[in-house]
Amino acid sequence: MAIEPGDIKRIVAPAAAVTREKMRADIARMLHEDPEEIGGEDSLIDLGLDSMRAMNLVLAWSEGGLDLEFSEFAEKPTLDGWWELVSAKQSARGG
Amino acid sequence: MRDRPGEAHPLTEAQSGLWYAQRLDPANPLFNTGQYIELRGPLDRPAFEAALAQAVAESDALALRMVDDPSGPLQVVDPAQRPMLEIVDVSGAADPFAAAEADIARDMATPLDPTREKLAAERLFVLGPERFIWQQRIHHLAIDGYGMILLTQRVADLYNARQRGGEAGAPLPGIATAFAEDAAYRASDKRVKDGDYWRELFADKPEVASLAAGNPVSAPSFHRRAVEIDADAFARLRAIGERTNIPWPDVVTALAAAYVRRHAGTPEVILGVPFMARLGSAAARVPAMLMNVLPLRVDAQEDDIDQYLGSVARSLTRARRHGRYRSEQLRRDLKLIGGQRRLHGPLINLLPFDETPRFEGLESRLEVLSTGPVEDITFTFRLHGADGLRLEVDANPDLYPREVVEANALRLKHFIEAASAAEGSLAEVPTATPEEAHRHIFALNATDHPVPDTTLAALIEARMRATPHAPALRFAGATMDYATLDARSRALAERLREGSKNSSKKRSSDSSNATGSIVAVALPRSFELVVALVAILRAGLAYLPLDLAQPDARIDRILASAGPRLVLARAEDAARFAGKAEMLTPGDWPTSPSGASLAGTPLAGPAPEDAAYVIYTSGSTGEPKGVVIEHRAIVNRLEWMRVHYGFSPADRILQKTPATFDVSVWEFFLPLLTGACLVVAPPQAHRDPVALARIIREEAITSAHFVPSMLAAFLAEPSVQGLSLKRVFCSGEELPADLRDRFHRTLTAELHNLYGPTEAAVDVSYWPAGEGDRSLPVPIGFPVWNTRLYVLDERNRPQPPGVPGHLHLGGVQLARGYLGRADLTAERFLPDPFRPGERIYATGDLALWRPDGAVVFLGRSDHQVKIRGLRIELGEIEAAVMSSGLVRQAGILAREDGGAKRIVAYVVPEPGADLSALKAHVAARVPDYMVPAAFVMLDALPVNANGKLDRAALPAPDFSGTGARVPQTPTETRLAALFAEQLGLASPVFAEDDFFSLGGDSLAAVALLLRVREEWGRDPGLGALFAQPTLAGFARLIDAEEGAGDAGLGPLVTLAEGDVSRPPLFVIHPAGGISWCYGRLARALDPRRTVHGLQAPALAPNIATPESLEALAADYVERIRAVRPHGPYHLLGWSVGGIIAQAMAVRLRELGAAVGVVAMLDSYPADVWRGEPDPGEDGALKALLAIAGHDPDRLPALALNRASVLAFLRASDSPLGRLPAAVLDGVVRVVAGNNRLVRGHFHRRFDGTLTHFRAALDHQGRDLTPEQWRPYAGRVEVVEVPALHAYLTGPEATALIAPVVSGLLDDADRKEDATCATAV
Repeated sequence: MAIEPGDIKRIVAPAAAVTREKMRADIARMLHEDPEEIGGEDSLIDLGLDSMRAMNLVLAWSEGGLDLEFSEFAEKPTLDGWWELVSAKQSARGG
Repeated sequence: MRDRPGEAHPLTEAQSGLWYAQRLDPANPLFNTGQYIELRGPLDRPAFEAALAQAVAESDALALRMVDDPSGPLQVVDPAQRPMLEIVDVSGAADPFAAAEADIARDMATPLDPTREKLAAERLFVLGPERFIWQQRIHHLAIDGYGMILLTQRVADLYNARQRGGEAGAPLPGIATAFAEDAAYRASDKRVKDGDYWRELFADKPEVASLAAGNPVSAPSFHRRAVEIDADAFARLRAIGERTNIPWPDVVTALAAAYVRRHAGTPEVILGVPFMARLGSAAARVPAMLMNVLPLRVDAQEDDIDQYLGSVARSLTRARRHGRYRSEQLRRDLKLIGGQRRLHGPLINLLPFDETPRFEGLESRLEVLSTGPVEDITFTFRLHGADGLRLEVDANPDLYPREVVEANALRLKHFIEAASAAEGSLAEVPTATPEEAHRHIFALNATDHPVPDTTLAALIEARMRATPHAPALRFAGATMDYATLDARSRALAERLREGSKNSSKKRSSDSSNATGSIVAVALPRSFELVVALVAILRAGLAYLPLDLAQPDARIDRILASAGPRLVLARAEDAARFAGKAEMLTPGDWPTSPSGASLAGTPLAGPAPEDAAYVIYTSGSTGEPKGVVIEHRAIVNRLEWMRVHYGFSPADRILQKTPATFDVSVWEFFLPLLTGACLVVAPPQAHRDPVALARIIREEAITSAHFVPSMLAAFLAEPSVQGLSLKRVFCSGEELPADLRDRFHRTLTAELHNLYGPTEAAVDVSYWPAGEGDRSLPVPIGFPVWNTRLYVLDERNRPQPPGVPGHLHLGGVQLARGYLGRADLTAERFLPDPFRPGERIYATGDLALWRPDGAVVFLGRSDHQVKIRGLRIELGEIEAAVMSSGLVRQAGILAREDGGAKRIVAYVVPEPGADLSALKAHVAARVPDYMVPAAFVMLDALPVNANGKLDRAALPAPDFSGTGARVPQTPTETRLAALFAEQLGLASPVFAEDDFFSLGGDSLAAVALLLRVREEWGRDPGLGALFAQPTLAGFARLIDAEEGAGDAGLGPLVTLAEGDVSRPPLFVIHPAGGISWCYGRLARALDPRRTVHGLQAPALAPNIATPESLEALAADYVERIRAVRPHGPYHLLGWSVGGIIAQAMAVRLRELGAAVGVVAMLDSYPADVWRGEPDPGEDGALKALLAIAGHDPDRLPALALNRASVLAFLRASDSPLGRLPAAVLDGVVRVVAGNNRLVRGHFHRRFDGTLTHFRAALDHQGRDLTPEQWRPYAGRVEVVEVPALHAYLTGPEATALIAPVVSGLLDDADRKEDATCATAV
């Protein structure tokens, strides 16, 4: 199986684990808001997140090698909902 | 949510638009979306087949069956429709990959019927033991691009889970989730808010521009060109994204938008941005068709790149927030329905994730084949791998040739890459690629050619000495040889050098100014004129031609500005110059030179940098500007022409252009520096084709010049037929391609198209418009020697080929400038941005480079108007108006009143002219979007001080009515607002105002009814609006809560109401049984009278068709006698309606009633139809199209079945498309019934006059003439209408027919009155 350039990056430079606080900060930066303004159950769409920004976030969090699916994120766009997805993937990988 | 099998659902909003598009264009295979994935490695086939089967089983969309139900399209999840994996083994083929690709291409190119065939196909091609191609083809109704990714990814997950022994993720949700979401959104407040947002954003009705003009209707295929964006550039783009906190895909969208805007050349563009509409949706993971296209408005702020990107990103964010609102719905809201009216131009599609699925142990490569119809041009940026960004340009081949698609792919790649490195401003990024810019600016302009550095005077003197006895001039049968010309011009030159006897003026030393060295010439064509010009040049002075036909005021301004030392004019014109300038009349000219010159002493002539002539042009400001041309410039022009076209002393060149027009410069001097003969046409002959033809023949002219409009008049002269010359030159106006072709059909000569302004020494470019030239339009071609042509954008950047820009000229031929006007000179003569130290002249003309480098002239930049993105040539409209012969003067402009931009024609009619036919005349000559919305009659056009049209002083056209009563009832008030809204009226609407005379047409009427239905929950129907078009009348119908769209379908409708003292006109329906088609005619009768339409009673489902046409006629006679008990009865019918009218007339006579006018629109007796086969269902559908105003024979691509005809009628805004299905059934039934009745009918004789309006453009090759009525009428009178049968009730034909019918009715009424009087 060929190794894609992206895979190489993941192998040689594994990124730090994604935390809930990092996600909150990343989302806030995208929305030009303070992290405290992002509540766990707030609809990120109501806060002004659009699909391209959401996709960018998902891509950024996947950089560390997590196999994240945008479509799953799209179903429930809240910080809690997304953390659930990310933490499940991280623990699956860790385990 | 799983769907219950067999349950029928209406289509979602997202599907509906596609459904109708597909029904309109059933043969278009691009509704198939598709892709393939090439798999290399040991594929576990059973695992793959199992994974695919499961993913397909989860994807309800793949099992959809479409049902074309009378209530509207429905869909059912039908397990039988699910695709099974088809295995195709091509491993035995010589080239298995090519075999698979060919098979896939065939499959993708096969259109399918979504009501009958499976929407999806899954195929696995076996190329070899370790090489496979998995193709998926799914109809767009079932899936969108993101849905395809979900499905593909799911297959990969299931396969990988098996291979790895793990668990695959959650199954794909069922399609019922998507249906439920769609229904919930349709009913939500959110949808209302979203709609408000979009309608407000587009309230100003912006114009939509694109890279190509033309009608964006998807062709059955598209051109594609893909290129890779350089990896470093992509990295820079992502860095910009991080710096600005704008997602990089939005950065790319913004840059591509800037690229499109530069090509469109408009301050703003509207792009379409595909939107997946899934974030935050329960249907996020459903493979289905959910995507939307959002219109994105982008304007031209290029100076600060971060600011620009920020503003586009904000627009995108807002658009996505309201992105579930369907763009098809927004188009309906904004009434952007119909061919050319669109919501957005090119699509920019960003796919910022790698869509390639990973299969365990295999290499995979994705190729996306089609994502749906391509209406215009789509720029797709696709991420592949982790760092590769690919640009795919897909374009409609009807609008973009393949080379243009390729060029755009490369150019946009360059643009994005350069923009990624731009510092601060986008303005520094060129539009053209470096190769394009180099080719256009340098390679095509590499025109360096040696030309002797001398003067016109020196060249002419050399010729005079070389061939003293050759004929130099011919005029009115007399000849002057070169020796005589030499002597006379030398004698006058010596006299001129003495200056004016009393003048203290000295030759100016100011090099930017020629004042003092100028001699004005105001002579008609004659030997003296030529002698004068040559003498002035030989004296080292500059000549200034004056046109005596011009008003004194203008001549005075020129004299004051130029300050000539002398005026050479005839004695009889002395009064014109008295006290203004010193004159020298030909009688006072010396005719023989001084002794010194006889001894051969050369005259001290001019230097190459001296001014040769000054010609005044009227500038855009109206103030005449004196263009100063130096010898060096005009020598270049004349030497180029002499060598390029091979002129020789044997040539005889016609001089017919007035000296004030710079074309005359080469006519005068080219023969003299060639040693050829200059044939001077008599004064005024230049406007007289007969005189020109004679002189060309008698004087054996070899070369002549024509302004194209004069050439057109010349070619129309019979004696020009068969004339033969060596060459004809055109310039001064655009040379139309059809004129070129007419030229070559009429006479034998080379034809050359030249272009140039006075400011660049006559002509700077040339194009051989020979017999074999098929160019459309005819280019102005390539630069002459030592000359450069630049097409630049508004920031002086070179335009790429095919993109309009401003034409600039450079090189040796440029004028010194404007006499005494350094300010104007500085404005138009600019530094050459590509050649330091040199100048360019801004022509004010728009042009483009053809791919072959030839330049095409597009018109004046200050005369450009765009309406709905279409370039409007006001000059073309003006020409069409003037060609009517009804108008003395016309001013055409586009004006904005009440937010709507419309073309208005201001006309000064010829005395006694009847302007009623003017609109039809214009409509027959220009595209429909260029027909003025209003014609305003004026006694004179207002002009400003400079004699130019004063636009500000033109009155706003009066679209408002003449009524006086203010709306009173609440219904009237609300309806008045709707009238104003639909018609864009700023002025109040009164109770008596008529919707149609306020400017409404059938389209506006349909839109009005939609709004009425929204406001009141019911509408009285279109027929009712025709019958009651006034505000008060229609408001009454709304209040009466009449019917729901079926009023207007009764057996007798009122199409117009008028003077009750005049007997009404009864119009009888054509084959379809509906008589609305006469609405326009009914309203056009003058004086107005009541018009009733008879409609087939059998339109109603329970009424049988009568057994004979006689019975039908008798029934109609009873009906009209019920509303009008006594005669005279006026009858008119189109097609079958005419046959019925004749039978009714017979019946009325039988009952002893008076019959007035009996008119038929292109009807022919039953005898000619009897032998023809019954047209059947096809005939009925064609009749439906004809009723809607279309000529069915001109819609060959439209499938003749009920569904596609109905879809077509709906999409083309026909009122018929809005009729309930039951009524349409009625129409089809009535058509069939009428065919039967006509075939079974035998005419009886009507003893009165039949007036027959014959569709003169139709029936070619068929034996159909009005004469065939002779046996059945006392008299037959024929009126020829230049129209096709199908268009006889259209606007153009009605404009011709209505006045005739009005006259006939008047005459008949008068005759009737007279008869009554005698009887008493």
